[in-house]
Amino acid sequence: MRRQVTVTVADSHVAQIDELAQALRDAGMEVDGILRAIGVITGSLPAEQQLGSIESLPGVAAVEEQKTFRLAPPDADVQ
Amino acid sequence: MATGGPPPDPQTTGRSVVVFSDAVRGDGTAIAEALRSLAEITTVVRTSEIDGGALSGEHVANAEALVFDALGLAVVAREPGELSDSLARMNASDGPILTIEPERVMHAIKIPEPEPPEPEPEPEPPEPEPEPSEPEPEPSEPEQEPGFADDEAFTWGLRATAVDATTATGEGIKIAVLDTGIDLSHPDFEGRTITSQSFVEGATTVADGQGHGTHCAGTSAGPAEPGEGRRYGVATAAALFVGKVLDDNGAGVDAGILAGIDWAITNGCHVISMSLGANDPAVSTTYETVGRRALEAGCLIVAAAGNNADRESGDLGFVGVPANSPSIMAIAALDSRLRVASFSAASNPVEGGSIDVAAPGVDVYSTWRMPQRYDTISGTSMATPHVAGLAALWSQTAGATGQALWTKLTEAARSLELPATDVGAGLAQAPPPASD
Repeated sequence: MRRQVTVTVADSHVAQIDELAQALRDAGMEVDGILRAIGVITGSLPAEQQLGSIESLPGVAAVEEQKTFRLAPPDADVQ
Repeated sequence: MATGGPPPDPQTTGRSVVVFSDAVRGDGTAIAEALRSLAEITTVVRTSEIDGGALSGEHVANAEALVFDALGLAVVAREPGELSDSLARMNASDGPILTIEPERVMHAIKIPEPEPPEPEPEPEPPEPEPEPSEPEPEPSEPEQEPGFADDEAFTWGLRATAVDATTATGEGIKIAVLDTGIDLSHPDFEGRTITSQSFVEGATTVADGQGHGTHCAGTSAGPAEPGEGRRYGVATAAALFVGKVLDDNGAGVDAGILAGIDWAITNGCHVISMSLGANDPAVSTTYETVGRRALEAGCLIVAAAGNNADRESGDLGFVGVPANSPSIMAIAALDSRLRVASFSAASNPVEGGSIDVAAPGVDVYSTWRMPQRYDTISGTSMATPHVAGLAALWSQTAGATGQALWTKLTEAARSLELPATDVGAGLAQAPPPASD
């Protein structure tokens, strides 16, 4: 089961987001989304690959595991 | 000092506060001259000449004039009425005095009494009287607010936020609602231009199979005249962008939510409404960076504070991701008597984890997916699109975006006698009607 991650691009590298996406692929990440307006790259790593392996690449401000957000079911009292 | 005039207002002391212009502030000679001209005062006590600038109570009570050098003010033992002629003469040409006000008496702001416990129920009367047919009236509680209610024309929430009186419509402003989508077949949205995109794997359209997204879209931008029933929408003429980032079970992942935010910003949206969250108190670098970049791009993100409180049991909950980002507004929920909803999360100590503002979030009526058409539900999810719609109204009337729009909303909020940790700046309000 792959690990879904978000990579926050540093302000300094937002203009070179495509190059950074390639560097991430070279480091083993499967890139699903390049979000240019917010400077974030989304994708996944093999389960055994540590976040640290991509965290230290130049231009990476942060790497986080993706969270799942959930709403209460529609008949719940509170939404 | 009998003057024969009306007795002083009991909330003032009979003295005056004199505010000096920036030009003379700190200039002892100029100030002394001004006070001599103004009221023939020669005995002056100056904070700059006292150790630590600390005036004693005696100083405060007895000086003819107390000069606060750092502030450029003086308190003068004369009533404002006695000074007005001198002031007029001195200020004939750019005088040293900006204004003179009566010295006020201030009071500690009263902390509301906690609600008294419910009175014990009356013991059964011994006589075998027939039971009354109507239920017993509720024991009266001390009410802080008269309370609002849904009526034929408006939801209670639109009344409480002064949307019922505003002339603003949100025209020209783009609101993005990122949620479970919207029921595009809903009659109330017929003819409304809606730009939509799904970011949920497996969902090719924004069709809302849950209802939550339709409800939020309705609150933020529902029509001025719904096909039936009362109005429930804040920014009736705003351009609506609907991003489906939650599946029909109400679940979503960062990738989809972030893609939705990116899409909204790329499309020039002024406001993004996110009635979603995760119970994680720690700030996410990703969402904080995204919130910051959104503000820089002129886009304000508002997010639900969270429903993880159970205040009746003493659990205050906490603001989670993404509302806890410093650059994202966290919205709390109020009921129709302007009390904090039991489920509404309180401020979280992390920086950014503060509640920013509150809005109606209990028993909120809005659109639901067809065929049900409408529903009345509760949550910080319902408070959030109120604020998104209000942001659109303010963006239209004040021309503000991003951080400036945030400030507009908090400044315009109605203060409540409730802690800021629960309600931030207070109950968000619509712009006052334009006076044409």
